[in-house]
Amino acid sequence: MRILRAPIVVGLVFALIGFAIGTGVTGLIRVALLDRDFWSTELSWSTGYPVALLGWLAGVGGWQHWGREWIGLDARPFTLTGWKRYFGFSPDHKVIGIQYIVTFAALFLLSGLIAMLIRIELASDGLQLFDNDTYNRAMSLHGITMIAVAVAIVIGGFGNFVVPLMIGAQDMAFPRLNALSYWLVPPVAVMLVIATLSPQLGGWDSGWTAYPPLSLLNASGQVLFNLAVITFGLVSILGGINFLTTIIYLRAPGMTWGRLPIFVWGVFTASLLSFFFTQAFAASLLMVLLDRVALTSFFRASEGGSAILYEHFFWFYSHPAVYIMVLPGFAIALEVLTHFSRKPLFAYRWAVAGLLGIVGLSGVVWAHHMFTSGMADYLHAPFLVLTELISIPTGIIFLAALGTIWAGKLWLRTPMLFGLSVIFNFLIGGLTGIYLADVPTDLLLHDTYFVVAHFHYTIVGGEIFALFAGLYFWFPKITGRQFNEQLGKIHFWLMFLGFQLTFIPMFFVGIQGMNRRVADYPSEFAETNLLITAGALMMSSSFLFFVWNMASSWIRGPRAADNPWQASTLEWQVPSPPPEHNFPRPPVVVGHPYPYGIAGAKHVETPASTAGAPAGGGGGGA
Amino acid sequence: MRRDLLTTAVIWAVVTALSALATYLWLDPFPTHGAEEAKVVDDAFLTLTYMATPVFGLVVAALVYSVLRFGAPGEPAEDGPPILGGVGVPVAWLAITSALAVTVIIHPGLTGLFELRADQHADMEVNVTGFRWAWTMEYAESGVVVNSPGDELVLPEGRRIKFNVTAIEGDVLHSFWVPAFRTKIDAVPGQVHEMYVTTEGTSTPGDISYRVQCTELCGLFHSGMVMDVVVLEASEFDTWLASKNTSAARVK
Repeated sequence: MRILRAPIVVGLVFALIGFAIGTGVTGLIRVALLDRDFWSTELSWSTGYPVALLGWLAGVGGWQHWGREWIGLDARPFTLTGWKRYFGFSPDHKVIGIQYIVTFAALFLLSGLIAMLIRIELASDGLQLFDNDTYNRAMSLHGITMIAVAVAIVIGGFGNFVVPLMIGAQDMAFPRLNALSYWLVPPVAVMLVIATLSPQLGGWDSGWTAYPPLSLLNASGQVLFNLAVITFGLVSILGGINFLTTIIYLRAPGMTWGRLPIFVWGVFTASLLSFFFTQAFAASLLMVLLDRVALTSFFRASEGGSAILYEHFFWFYSHPAVYIMVLPGFAIALEVLTHFSRKPLFAYRWAVAGLLGIVGLSGVVWAHHMFTSGMADYLHAPFLVLTELISIPTGIIFLAALGTIWAGKLWLRTPMLFGLSVIFNFLIGGLTGIYLADVPTDLLLHDTYFVVAHFHYTIVGGEIFALFAGLYFWFPKITGRQFNEQLGKIHFWLMFLGFQLTFIPMFFVGIQGMNRRVADYPSEFAETNLLITAGALMMSSSFLFFVWNMASSWIRGPRAADNPWQASTLEWQVPSPPPEHNFPRPPVVVGHPYPYGIAGAKHVETPASTAGAPAGGGGGGA
Repeated sequence: MRRDLLTTAVIWAVVTALSALATYLWLDPFPTHGAEEAKVVDDAFLTLTYMATPVFGLVVAALVYSVLRFGAPGEPAEDGPPILGGVGVPVAWLAITSALAVTVIIHPGLTGLFELRADQHADMEVNVTGFRWAWTMEYAESGVVVNSPGDELVLPEGRRIKFNVTAIEGDVLHSFWVPAFRTKIDAVPGQVHEMYVTTEGTSTPGDISYRVQCTELCGLFHSGMVMDVVVLEASEFDTWLASKNTSAARVK
């Protein structure tokens, strides 16, 4: 029975043992010392889950490949090969990258399906598919899963697969920590699903924002949400630390900061944000958890707490989180625009300054989400000013994008179409953001469908479209095979047009007075909502072409050349898919990452022609 | 190159003019105008839209022209010109976008904010209390109370009204919003938030802009936490309030 020794099975067994230990100790203490029932839903989950999580991490490979060292034994070597690597604890950044991409693509499709159910419910007024409770739960689940996808898929997926290759490293700085970060993800998904489906837990209906006091009073599924999302915060923080260290210390000889491909800058700046800000979110959710199970009163007004305090904590992370999602998206778009225009990235240093400028400002704009919260009036003007200022560094990104395509030799393949669409989508997302940062207009628009349309334009339009640009761009590198161009173009046009048809009308229905997060609305808004649902169905149909294209091309697509796009950056100078340690010899970087059209200029000396010391990448360490 | 720039500039001008024209002719998506505050908000919205049109026009013109003029489905045989950006264009871009951002901050941002905050006097006060999933409104001077569901929030036309908004102790967050009045404010247990509105014009029955709508997710019946609003001529309002007063007295 070799299946019983599979890492996931061992992990599950250890997780169940851990859960039993955690809940058991709690239950025994309750029975023996407090004369209470053995099982107390929220408390038992809160103590059982952390131990189960440790059991899972140990069982899935953390003990065999890492923990044994702590008691003086030798860590077991990594022996899984072929497809089995993807279902085990692997330190290879390329395996981990694919694990992230596939896991979160599956979550994206699942959450998209929930969005379609929501849109079918909202296609007309009245209640047809859901009741009020199931609607709120579906909306909450869609929110948090899509947030998780948006935070993790680009950084976790492409960041892992591409960044070490781009900077000429053998792997990430902390390969085993990297594997650990990934294996924290399945418990997050499992907990959210258990919370939603279990009738005892009853889901949670407080949205992804989980504002107290609602999140203190609703069904017990909220506790599982908090535990899951705190775990997800850990994924983000550990990933951030790993990327920062990798990019700072493992660059190949000659890869100066001024020669980093722009995508590396995107991941670097986003990692700064996840490193600095995520703990605020985790802490605020922990405080909600403690208010529920330990009867603290961080957010209970009747006992001196403050509900508005939570909003400050929450948005202190959650506004920078938007940039954790969008900065790598911008960077993929610029990367693709450069290669497919066959021109150097326009105003490269300015674009980097733009990314850093957004990082600098992102920490001081959070309260623009709170103009109607009742916070002190004197905070309105400074947050209005600071928030509007963020349009300046964002504007530089637009300059870089437009300057790059201008007078280029544009090759209109699928990745390029997605890259170009990011410019248009984020233009609308950015311009409508100005209305929400402006206090007078925000008083009307806050918590209406205008906001829903705006943040879908920024996150889907700015990041998810860029994600697809990246998926098609790096598909030949990752799989060694070429995708079907016709299917790719069908996917693009259906998604692009469906997206506009879905979200443009939402701006208008929002201004007219339709508020968000509602299962039902006045019948006056029914016509527009039907149109929105039609657009959403059109958009969702595009993913059938996407999934079919990816699956069939990965299995039996034509073999791809090592560098089918004739791109200049390092990941394209190795075979497709890349060998286990990336570079047979250390690459030597000698110039600008995008030397298109510059006579005699080169980004990298051909690796084969160089000899010498080990590559800049380190395989060792934790 | 010069011709490309010139053509793009023409497209820019056309897109900008068309967007501005469309805004002028058709952009009236607002709820019914029911308060003086609505003018500040709607004007700010339109000002921002007019200011956005040249930005929108420029990006769309450069994007569409580049794709049509420089794009090809086949693999390019050669590299494009190595335009690195220099200093002049980015500096000019930075200067212009900064000027635009500062303009937006000052007007309609800060000017609108201060206009909405300027007048802190009120002709009458209404104490608004939200709880899952209904509203209680108390006319502060007379002590008359109306409740949802069932009752309407009746208000006089042309008066400056101060809403003192809160939620019941131990309840959750709600938000008090009447689309016709534009502004909204959260109802938070243990806190009283003030919101000023100067009503303008009377309401017509069935107008959904005249509804109190909870706009902060509050659980099960959040979408149904509504209450109709009726704005009457001041004299009719006084009659209505007097009748409520006597019926309240009779109950006592």
